[in-house]
Amino acid sequence: MLARLSDTLWRRPGLFILLLLTPPLLWLGIIYVGSLFALLLQSFFSIDEFSGLIRYELTLKTYYELLTPANGDIILRTIIMACAVTAAATLIAFPIALYAARHARGRLKAFFYLGAMMPLWSSYLVKIYAWKLILAKEGIINWVVEGMGLAFVLNAILAFPVIGGNSLSVSYIGTFIVLLYVWIPFMILPLQAALERVPEPLLEASDDLGATAGQTLRHVTIPLALPGMIAGSIFTFSLTMGDYIVPQIIGSSRRFIGQAVYAHQGTAGNIPLAAAFAVVPIVVMAFYLWYARRRGAFDAL
Amino acid sequence: MTVAVAFENTSRHFGAVVAVDRVDLVIEEGSFFAMLGPSGSGKTTCLRLISGFERPSEGLIRIFGEDSNDIPPNRRPVNTVFQDYALFPHLDVDDNVAYGLMVRGVPRGRRKDEAGRMLELVKLGGYGRRKPSELSGGQRQRVALARALINRPRVLLLDEPLGALDLKLREQMQDELKAIQETLGITFIFVTHDQGEALSMADQIAVMNEGRVIQTGSPREIYEHPRTRFVADFVGSSNVFPPEVSVSFGEAEAWSSLRPETVSLAPPGTGRVDGHVVSVRYLGASKRVTIAVRDHLVAAIIAADSPVPDQGGGVSLVWPAGSFHVMDDD
Repeated sequence: MLARLSDTLWRRPGLFILLLLTPPLLWLGIIYVGSLFALLLQSFFSIDEFSGLIRYELTLKTYYELLTPANGDIILRTIIMACAVTAAATLIAFPIALYAARHARGRLKAFFYLGAMMPLWSSYLVKIYAWKLILAKEGIINWVVEGMGLAFVLNAILAFPVIGGNSLSVSYIGTFIVLLYVWIPFMILPLQAALERVPEPLLEASDDLGATAGQTLRHVTIPLALPGMIAGSIFTFSLTMGDYIVPQIIGSSRRFIGQAVYAHQGTAGNIPLAAAFAVVPIVVMAFYLWYARRRGAFDAL
Repeated sequence: MTVAVAFENTSRHFGAVVAVDRVDLVIEEGSFFAMLGPSGSGKTTCLRLISGFERPSEGLIRIFGEDSNDIPPNRRPVNTVFQDYALFPHLDVDDNVAYGLMVRGVPRGRRKDEAGRMLELVKLGGYGRRKPSELSGGQRQRVALARALINRPRVLLLDEPLGALDLKLREQMQDELKAIQETLGITFIFVTHDQGEALSMADQIAVMNEGRVIQTGSPREIYEHPRTRFVADFVGSSNVFPPEVSVSFGEAEAWSSLRPETVSLAPPGTGRVDGHVVSVRYLGASKRVTIAVRDHLVAAIIAADSPVPDQGGGVSLVWPAGSFHVMDDD
């Protein structure tokens, strides 16, 4: 019986592939794409201001609402923060990933993996509350800075309009630091994998042809690692865009997209507006990928 | 004659492994020099010592008289054609070839012209806009050559340049490499494990084994007067006889080599020694016959149309006086 089944599958490889792919395709098709479509659909409904009930008619009213100054600020703030976190993550992750891919060997390499992955093992909330303590006015950073007699530097930084605040834990700088900390492993790992795949002879060829180390980095290493960098930036960018817990706990009380979605679908009961907010990151990501592709970022794949 | 590259008592160790062992070598300017040896003989490490990717553990490398130990690869007057070509996959052929000029800050227009000229030299004119992935193995090889030549190096290094090509293409590229070397008049140093390639292209050969240079000389010297058993065996699968067998064949009592193509066959009892045929292998233009003389095997290469007794048949061996070549005992 089992032998006959295995024979049949051997004769008809298509059937075998179909059997293997059906469960994940159902999952992807119905649960994921389906709910995404439902979300999209919701965003074209609107809410009745008087009754607070959803009107099931297709309209762009919710999207107009998205563009009011208050909501526009939330979107802009979130995009700027996501850009800043992604840029900083790329800058910080690149040397780390380069070191791990090119120079670390044996135990040092194991240590690197551990170092990059460890933050992912502990609870997200624990990490954020730990950061709140670190960044607070009574926290370790303030204590060290004061001990070194550099309190005036920290105060000068915190005195900046918009990004500053009473202490690091209630400023945008704090939000930025914690988001960077939480999401940077998602930049290091793909970048490191991409750098590891850059063949050594290509670097030697560049060197042999007269390039300095900087020129090799710019003309060979970075272009060939670009797909990994883009992959990492997709992670850090979209994870920052969607995060609603970090800005809630650390930072000023001004909202980010994630918080807006959370508030509108919850207490406010404005599902259409929550859906419209949720569409924003999708649109931004789609535009980003389209642009990266057009600029040839994936040509080396 | 100017000396292009000189090894002076140069060694390279990797931990306990001695890749290059006290090598002394002089490569003259304008020569087509082959480093020949089996894999693991240290020939590629020698090439990397010249290009600067390895530094000597002891001794030094001189390039045009200058001690090069502290000169990084990007500042040596040397360029390399890498074994698997190492073309930049994200750049088109033009940009690959012009890379050396680009990093030197040559303006774009001049770069394009020069790359075009180099591609003409390697017979790839008009391929400039293609990506390396769109080229065949032979074409990639030519791009790698053009890219290495664009900086007008005084020495060109080639690491198993023809290893990945099929036989017909390999023969064609051998002729072309030779022609390009003669046109440009620069020194070519190439590494190969293929003795036929070394013999047909080079005008000087260094035979290497276990990190040491065993013999240097012209192809003819190497082929006809191998200094040691290893050289005789590696360059052209010679017959190698220990002293007692040489004596029994009526020659001097010493390690000797006998080229298979100098041996001919005669009816039993008419030649120098008698034996019987063990095997006959057809090689196209010739045949390789293995004959057992007492308990020693002797190979003979004869014309494909000459008659050979069946397997086990008696036969006598003939060779001209002076064919036995006496060698060092190592």
